[in-house]
Amino acid sequence: MAEAQLTGWFGPGAQPRRGVHFAALLVMAAVIALPWIEPDKFTLHILSLIAIASIAAMGLQVLLGYSGQLSIGQAAFYGIGAYTSALLTAKLGVPFPLALLGAGIAAAIASLLMVPITRLTGAYLAVATLGFSIIVYLFIKNEEWLTGGSYGFIAIPRAELFGHVLREPMSSYYLNVGVAAIVYFTFARIESSRFGRAINAIRLDADAARASGIHVTLLKSECFVIAAFVAGLAGSLYAHEVRYLAPNDFTFWKSIEILIMVVIGGVGSLAGAILGAAVVVGLPEYLRAIGDYRMLVFGAILIATMLFGEGGLAALCATLARRVGALLARLPRKLSIRNEAAQ
Amino acid sequence: MSTDAHADEWLLEARGVTRRFGGLLAVDAVDLAVRRGSVHGLIGPNGAGKTTLLNLIAGVYRVSSGVLRFRAQDITQHSTAKRARAGIRRTFQNLKLFSEMTALENVAIGLHAQTHAGFFDAVLSTPRHRREERSIRDRSMAVLHFVGLGDVVRARADTLAYGHRRLLEIARAIVAQPTLLLLDEPAAGLNVTEAAHVSDLIARIRDDGTTVVLVEHHMDVVMRVSDEITVLNYGRRLARGTPAQIQEDPGVIEAYLGRSGGNESAQA
Amino acid sequence: MGALSLSQFVDLVVGGLAVGCVYSLIALGFAMIMRATNIIHFAQGEVMMLGSMCGLTSLWLIPALPLLLVVAVGMASSGIIAVVMEVAVYRTLRRRRVPIMNIITATVGMSILCINAARIIWGSEPLRFPELFATTAYEFGTVRVSPQLFWIMVMGVAIMGALQLFLKHTPTGLAMQAVAQDPEAAQLMGANLTRMMAYTFAISGMMAGAAGIMLGSMFFSFFEMGFITGLKGFVAATLGGLGSIAGAMLGGILFGLIETFSSVFLSSAYKDGIGMILLIAILLILPSGLVGLWQKRS
Repeated sequence: MAEAQLTGWFGPGAQPRRGVHFAALLVMAAVIALPWIEPDKFTLHILSLIAIASIAAMGLQVLLGYSGQLSIGQAAFYGIGAYTSALLTAKLGVPFPLALLGAGIAAAIASLLMVPITRLTGAYLAVATLGFSIIVYLFIKNEEWLTGGSYGFIAIPRAELFGHVLREPMSSYYLNVGVAAIVYFTFARIESSRFGRAINAIRLDADAARASGIHVTLLKSECFVIAAFVAGLAGSLYAHEVRYLAPNDFTFWKSIEILIMVVIGGVGSLAGAILGAAVVVGLPEYLRAIGDYRMLVFGAILIATMLFGEGGLAALCATLARRVGALLARLPRKLSIRNEAAQ
Repeated sequence: MSTDAHADEWLLEARGVTRRFGGLLAVDAVDLAVRRGSVHGLIGPNGAGKTTLLNLIAGVYRVSSGVLRFRAQDITQHSTAKRARAGIRRTFQNLKLFSEMTALENVAIGLHAQTHAGFFDAVLSTPRHRREERSIRDRSMAVLHFVGLGDVVRARADTLAYGHRRLLEIARAIVAQPTLLLLDEPAAGLNVTEAAHVSDLIARIRDDGTTVVLVEHHMDVVMRVSDEITVLNYGRRLARGTPAQIQEDPGVIEAYLGRSGGNESAQA
Repeated sequence: MGALSLSQFVDLVVGGLAVGCVYSLIALGFAMIMRATNIIHFAQGEVMMLGSMCGLTSLWLIPALPLLLVVAVGMASSGIIAVVMEVAVYRTLRRRRVPIMNIITATVGMSILCINAARIIWGSEPLRFPELFATTAYEFGTVRVSPQLFWIMVMGVAIMGALQLFLKHTPTGLAMQAVAQDPEAAQLMGANLTRMMAYTFAISGMMAGAAGIMLGSMFFSFFEMGFITGLKGFVAATLGGLGSIAGAMLGGILFGLIETFSSVFLSSAYKDGIGMILLIAILLILPSGLVGLWQKRS
């Protein structure tokens, strides 16, 4: 897992943190400025989808990267959130902000069904989550009266905030990116906290955690609820972004996509989850040639990442940054040597 | 009342504790009484059931039959985490450190049960979160200095030398000031100097008020620091007494000490 | 829920047993790999699917190919594919001693790879097998059984029987069992661990290939058939007791019957859900499966 984790005040020193903060500020500035530089509707739409996907991916990161639980069932909560929000706004006229919250809460409540499953570990937990995801998918597909079934759920209203309907791609872009940023910074705060240490301890050695008095199953369940909640939020944002839902969007393939985002981005890294989402959602849009081969490529990348180092893209970026930083650090010396030689 | 006095003197009692694994009788109707404030050694040849007994006390295994009493309470059916919260902490024979975390973070885990800040406290940076983080940091630092790891507090656990890792394992177990500390071969693989340091540490832990049960193969460590010793053989209790008594017990000598003709300090 | 006539009942039993044989073969693969490597081979269903596709392809190339040869082709291709997976990826991961979560993720990746490769090669439409069996039903007294289901059961039992004979009465089979029980001891006795591992994958692959042909001929083949069916094979293995060969066989038959009978009484739309609920229930209530229950009694 990424070394940048658990740096809090326990960490190996202030310097790495400064670098990460600086990079984060740069990224934020770029993200905020983007729609003014490149207002192309399609681009903004894709970036919105990336932001939405990254929210679900960050949720899985808490499950997999922090507490070490492999869940291949996040699509269930994504779907529950999407349909809940659609139903609340389209059928019950609930204002969007409440529907967004309601989506998260509905998903979180559904995840309580998973609590018994959190006793399981490893592949057993994984297949149990997969089974759960399939059950939810079947429900979405078959209960036409509720979800529209295979006919789909159409005419989902746009998101609106404070009475202002978000008609422009730019507005919904800021909404989606905004929620993603909030989720990111919320989860980043966990890293140097009692909660964060405890769930990492569970990942590293659950028996030792138990011996220190940690209620392992309770904390594992908490992680599931948290991940489900944000997946539900993502589902709601998705519903109001594309305004049409079909059961095929919430099969186990969606769960696997979310897993791929986390693995490609780097298990254990929140920023990696965002990078992974960008690759999985963004790449096929810009490399039309990949199209059909998309999942094939991702499957291969998954295997390759496991074979050649699990830090994923985040680790690659970190290494790159370190190399660049080291290079830059050497420059002043090189300059001064040149000056001395000139004298 | 006499039971209070009884409970005061005997912190941990095992009565007729038995553990079966399939057909194997690992621990056979063992009685154990650990005096409060003492260091109680648990020795015996390999396979005698010492670690199994320790695991039974810690709650890793459930007893097949028998009773465990801690502070006069029946803890036989309690889970590991529950016993840990009640004041029983342990180290592991094979070292179970959190490899990716620093020494300081490892010790901080030991204080998890004494603190309460949760997910929302962390996110909102509540006063409770900040107060507890400060307190955890201070106490963890103090314990690391106490065991002798003051120089490596920020090192990742998997980068530490073996001797330091053993000390870290102990530090994590004592940071919450447990009532009962179970040490599973804390000196395994240590050289003479390091083993002596561990003996001193155990004595200091006892002097600070913690009762210790010590499973060890290093005879010098056990004899030096134990107040009382129980000897196991083939899962049964063979003898019990002071170090001096044990060293002279013919049954023990025959079964254990006498076999290799001397100190068995090179085990593990 | 009206009463069933005898012929309906027999149909259900035969159908359940036939599909149960298929599940058993897949479950056996899971069990063998679990015993040898301690991992759940996520891509096992895909191994089955690829065997099915290869068998079907052989029928396209040689339409008059007899049934047994089709099965042989299916088994051979699956066996080879499974060995390739092991040699190319899993072996390296084990040697590097990567955490088990990484191996599981790699098998998931392998599954994705295979499914999408199959989709690109064979397309996404379901593919029908040509008629491999006679169409007139066999009559046993008053009971009529479809030849297809009958022969599938016979083949299934024959293959499983052959496997048992192989494992218990040949040197290689015994070596494989030894390696599964205690790799170090087996190695000291001269067993070549790497080769035994390859054999394990080969054999579990072959079982899956046979299952694929059977399943394909019963219904149809398509690129995603391995995922859910593989998962059901896993449910069957867990029901019997994961890691137990006998358990896998028992679990498969049992699960086949359970699924067939419950889909009569429950909405067929939720048929797949039965397996999932059963899976979660077993994992939570009876993780060591029926075999574990049996062992606890004795």
